[in-house]
Amino acid sequence: MTIATPTDRSATAPSERLAGFASLLREHGLTVGVAEQLAMLQAALHFGPLQEKPLQAAWRAIACHSQREWKLWPDIYERFWHPEKLRGGVKVSGQTRPSRNLRQSVQALHDQMDAAQKPNTQASGQQAAPQTAGDMPAVGLDVNDAGTPRAQGGASRTEALHQRDGQMWLPQELSALQQLARQITATLQPRPTRRWRVAPRGQRLDLRQTLRRSVAWGGELMQPAWKVKRQEPPRLFILADVSRSMESHAALFLRVARAFALEADARVFVFHTRLAEVTPYMQRDTPAIQEKVNAVTAGFGGGTRIAASLQDFARHHARAQLNRGSRVWVFSDGFDTDAPELLSAALQEVRARGARITWFHPTRQVPAAAAVQQARRCIERFVPFASLADLTAARHLLH
Amino acid sequence: MTMPVPCEQPADQERLLRERLQRSGYLADPDLATTVWLASALQRPLLIEGDAGVGKTALATALAQSQDATLVRLQCFEGLDLAQAAYEWNYGRQLMAIRLNEAAHNGVHQDGAARVREADLFSREYLLERPLLRAISQTGPCVLLIDEIDRADEAFEAFLLEVLGDYQITVPEIGTLRATHIPQVILTSNGTRELSDALRRRCLYHYLDYPTLAREIAIVKSALPQADSHLVEEAVQFVQRLRREDLAKIPGIAETLDWVNALFQMRHNSLPEDMAAVLGTLGCLLKTREDRFAMGPDRLRQLVEGRRTVGVAENSIEQAKAAA
Repeated sequence: MTIATPTDRSATAPSERLAGFASLLREHGLTVGVAEQLAMLQAALHFGPLQEKPLQAAWRAIACHSQREWKLWPDIYERFWHPEKLRGGVKVSGQTRPSRNLRQSVQALHDQMDAAQKPNTQASGQQAAPQTAGDMPAVGLDVNDAGTPRAQGGASRTEALHQRDGQMWLPQELSALQQLARQITATLQPRPTRRWRVAPRGQRLDLRQTLRRSVAWGGELMQPAWKVKRQEPPRLFILADVSRSMESHAALFLRVARAFALEADARVFVFHTRLAEVTPYMQRDTPAIQEKVNAVTAGFGGGTRIAASLQDFARHHARAQLNRGSRVWVFSDGFDTDAPELLSAALQEVRARGARITWFHPTRQVPAAAAVQQARRCIERFVPFASLADLTAARHLLH
Repeated sequence: MTMPVPCEQPADQERLLRERLQRSGYLADPDLATTVWLASALQRPLLIEGDAGVGKTALATALAQSQDATLVRLQCFEGLDLAQAAYEWNYGRQLMAIRLNEAAHNGVHQDGAARVREADLFSREYLLERPLLRAISQTGPCVLLIDEIDRADEAFEAFLLEVLGDYQITVPEIGTLRATHIPQVILTSNGTRELSDALRRRCLYHYLDYPTLAREIAIVKSALPQADSHLVEEAVQFVQRLRREDLAKIPGIAETLDWVNALFQMRHNSLPEDMAAVLGTLGCLLKTREDRFAMGPDRLRQLVEGRRTVGVAENSIEQAKAAA
């Protein structure tokens, strides 16, 4: 990809380097188009090659558009421009990639821009200032290197998520999960409320607004205002079973729960012998938070008290928010140490509040546990869920 | 999008900007100063995100003050519309003009008095300027602060695109009003709602985090120069530790300033030994019931002293003291 600027129509090596950087940024989900690249080029020309720190700050302001991207930036920047600083990086012998020295690149860019701005002086026979010894090979190598695939260190990055049961997550898989969560959230039917909002094509006349508008027409009702029922997105509650029997699925469940916590503002609970809310931990992703989630999910040893946990959920945690149109998703295999009839009673309690219950089970078949079998009529839908592929397959059922 | 021809080195301009901001009472870190300078150089709006109380709005105020510019503020809220943000016709005045004209020409046609025409009624004279139009119409330097944009509706964001992209507002009856002097636009957001990509792409972006210990001490010292240095350092260290706690509402810089001011007003030269006295002033920092309950005297003492746990021996000494 080349950047065409008014002053330089040819593809220059530094601009290609910048395009490579932009491409890496795009791979990480940053929205860096031609406009951003031009702005980055201008900033580079303005700051010069010797001021890396302000230049990096300027590029960061141009390329980042959200907090996620802001936090991601230092890592991507270092990886591209200062790969030598990264500890634990894989060294590949015989690597032909030229060094990515930012200072040299920007200096070369300056030189090329200057050369492009003075075509007449060169044509009249005057020699342009010779380039530095360090620049020439770098430029040459870049031109040769532009079309060749670059070494990636040997590891394949194409392994599908569903083969690993959610243990190792790559950034692109996480973004795929996030996208899936977004799609499913979009299909969840909103709930009409008793409130109204002004809308161009409404069913009912908004008298107050109409009268306000009539002032412009001397009191004549020339411009009616309409209103429609205001709709609210459904409240989503996710209850993930993290007991011993579900240990191998807990990582997947929590990842998926986190995606929905971010996309659909879902409230997330984990339960084994008791219920605990982990929603605040889902909003932030730091090592400290991960420790907390681990602490919550790892402190179990006994059985699973699904019925007691659900009762606690309905009576205390979600008492004020559990209403008509709420969706309750339970991620569990259904093995309960409480008496089987208790689960039915607990689910009925949730159902009585108008919530719709979907049961995600890690097995292919609907759980054969007596408790789940007894409570079947309270559960709207059973969905097998052992991998992300299962969730993708079930996305049309979740509405 | 053109970069102005630099008369000085960017580093000098940036340093100047930092000094000016500092004189206006705002300590900006180098990255933020670069971004603010770049936003003015590229004539692009600057979107600042960050938690409540990290100094987003204060930046705009200080920037306007440092440049002797007019600060035009648009506070966003749910249901904000064009009439409240950009312009509205002064209907009352238009009607009055029509009636006065009718009265002047009542029955008898007078050659001397000109009849009011429709074009007269829809001129700038009858336009009520709201913040966006006011910012665009400024003839001198202007800082437009669009505060808490995440509270406004998505439809309003779409309207903002024209203002932020081209610095113009189209009024159907008049035409397009272009800015004579491009205002420096600062948008702030607490991140409670996801903003549209179109809006984000028109802006430069900066995420403002809580300040580091050294910077926060400098901020408090510059805002409260009369407070004891020892008190400021201890208090800021405490707040920094408090921020690492699991709180519903993390205290911002404004809260730190309030708290240090409260301690200063109570004539403390350092953090009081008595935790009850600290607890009494903690309302400046903790603003929810849950947080207030989570901070008992024991936990507070640990935070004040910078320890994570209370040893068994110390507990037994305290219990013995309490029993005595």
